[in-house]
Amino acid sequence: MIKNKNKKPTGNVEISTFHIGDAVLGINILDIQEINKEFEITKVPQSSDHIAGVMNLRGRIVTVLNTDKILGLSNDRNDKGNRIIIVDSKGEYIGLIADSIGDVVLADNSVIELPPSNMGHIKGKFFQGVLKNKGQLIGILNIDGVLGG
Amino acid sequence: MEEKSKNTETSVQVSLKLLDTLMSLAGELVLGRNQLLQGINNTNMDTISVSGQRIDLITSEIQDVIMRTRMQSVEGLFGKILQKFRGWVTHNNSGKDVELDRTILETMHKPLEDLVEVFIDDGKTNKNEITLKAFQDAGHVNIVVSAGTSRILSDDIPDKAAEVIEGLGGVVDVEPIGDAGCDLIIKLPLTLAIIPSQMTSIGNEKFAIPQTNLSELLRIPAAEVKDKIEKVGDAEVIRLRGELLPLLDLSALLDIPRMYLSPENGETMPERRINLADRRSPKYDSDGSVVQNEKPDDALKLLERDKSDRRQHKSSATNIAVVSAGNYKYGLVVDRFHDSEEIVVKPIGRHLKDCQTYAGATIMGDGKVSLILDILNLAQMSGLSTVSESNQLSDKLQQGQTSEKLKESVVVFKNLETEYFAASFEYVQRIERFSTTSIEYIGGRNVIQYRGGALPLYQMSQIFDVESLPERELQEVVVFSVNDKEFGLMVTPPVDILEVHLDIDTRSFEKTGVRGTMSINGHTTLVLDILEMAESFLERIL
Repeated sequence: MIKNKNKKPTGNVEISTFHIGDAVLGINILDIQEINKEFEITKVPQSSDHIAGVMNLRGRIVTVLNTDKILGLSNDRNDKGNRIIIVDSKGEYIGLIADSIGDVVLADNSVIELPPSNMGHIKGKFFQGVLKNKGQLIGILNIDGVLGG
Repeated sequence: MEEKSKNTETSVQVSLKLLDTLMSLAGELVLGRNQLLQGINNTNMDTISVSGQRIDLITSEIQDVIMRTRMQSVEGLFGKILQKFRGWVTHNNSGKDVELDRTILETMHKPLEDLVEVFIDDGKTNKNEITLKAFQDAGHVNIVVSAGTSRILSDDIPDKAAEVIEGLGGVVDVEPIGDAGCDLIIKLPLTLAIIPSQMTSIGNEKFAIPQTNLSELLRIPAAEVKDKIEKVGDAEVIRLRGELLPLLDLSALLDIPRMYLSPENGETMPERRINLADRRSPKYDSDGSVVQNEKPDDALKLLERDKSDRRQHKSSATNIAVVSAGNYKYGLVVDRFHDSEEIVVKPIGRHLKDCQTYAGATIMGDGKVSLILDILNLAQMSGLSTVSESNQLSDKLQQGQTSEKLKESVVVFKNLETEYFAASFEYVQRIERFSTTSIEYIGGRNVIQYRGGALPLYQMSQIFDVESLPERELQEVVVFSVNDKEFGLMVTPPVDILEVHLDIDTRSFEKTGVRGTMSINGHTTLVLDILEMAESFLERIL
């Protein structure tokens, strides 16, 4: 179930954490291309709710997704401190909007648990696993699940 | 395999001529830059603007030449396929003049092989039956693989091939032909192409309309909206040179609030108008009959009101891009027109593939992304009628209009300041202004040398019981022509040509040469019967 993309023999993974509303989420740092702060999103009328719009990433058109809407989370987005996490999926860069970015957590694969069928109100298919860190529960996103295959 | 082919061919064969052109352009560019730097150092605006223009020209040329180094004939790709499937695929000359970006051609090699193999593996294909052809239409390059007798279904297309084609932003389709056989149509966009586009905006969002789809740009001043934009059923249409075009309101379609530039403070304000058509616009049922028509009196009042029209501001004009694609021709209503720009079409991500509204996206000079409208899909999505359907509607409307009260063109002029006259425009030849000194009095009448002959001139006082005209330096003359005979009527300006509903009161003023009186622009106007006048008075005066 847990896809171990980390090739290191120690079995350690680095998880970049971020916040959407009250939820603490994580993405395997190897899935992340970069995290952006300065950006201008062009809305795409008549597209799905899940799509925030498109942005220019050094000459590439990148689709930016409303991570909160996909996961069914409410957010307290004020558009100021927002960050866009650019992930590389099937050769395409895709942006995920986060309210704010947290720490990078180093964890051993063995302490990452299987995700429950749903976590909070979020469906289980969006998660790769769950990590308990300093009393916080971090839901590690399954990028393919979030991006819709 | 596919990954490899992307990386193997890293060198390009470019004709020396192109390279030489590029070299000399590079030299020009350096000169332009030096000139620009000089201008900036000396803060000389003239030099800066001259070098700016120069660099602009050179850049376009370099862009063009570099593009050409990347474009290659589809022929090369076809050649490879022919070689591999010798005996199966026959030569087809079309495709020689169709060019595609080399990366697309290279990437297409494998999927095209796979597709041809599908036909061969099918078992029903005879030798030399498969043909390849390529043609270009509206920003797409189509590659067609036809099989003589084999018929496959779209499910038979190898996933891998379909994936690669979609990766290029293209589509592959199977079209059955007759009882047996089918065409495999691969539609490839010119993704790396640079296309000239008209930039437009709705609210604060900019959209590009490919120039290939654009026929013309219309700007309907607010005061003319009621005359030009009509409502047929629920649809709004514009009459353009006799042709009836459906209108599509981009702001309503994309659900973006319209904005207009406030003439008072120069700020953009949300537009409060919802309908394009003025409430004074004529309305028709979808079968062409008039639903609501202004009373003739209203028409006159409207003419009067024009001067104080609330929507006279230039900025509240309606901007319409007349576009065509496939079988559709329509007017796309936008807030503003911007410049025409050469834009680089960039592919959009897989999440937006389902969104039919756009043909792609581009990055503007300010770094912001703008979307390129898909003119054909916009029309289909909104269920617009095709050109032939609108023509039928247009015919119906015309029939409807003949039953309507007739509108007639009249020429309106004055004798003295407060004496208003009108005459049917039918007999008006020209409206002239002569110097009074050139008017001669010969044989008891006024004449003027006019276009190689003597034009007899009259004034109203010779016909009706009105004061004669005061002497002026210049004299306005309306030249009429009745039964091939020309004569001029000396008048006091302004001379106007108007379209009015003729609603003449024939009782209040009965006299030969007069049709009656009517109110035009709030003035009681004597409507002349030029034919009768010419016959009964002018002949006698002659």
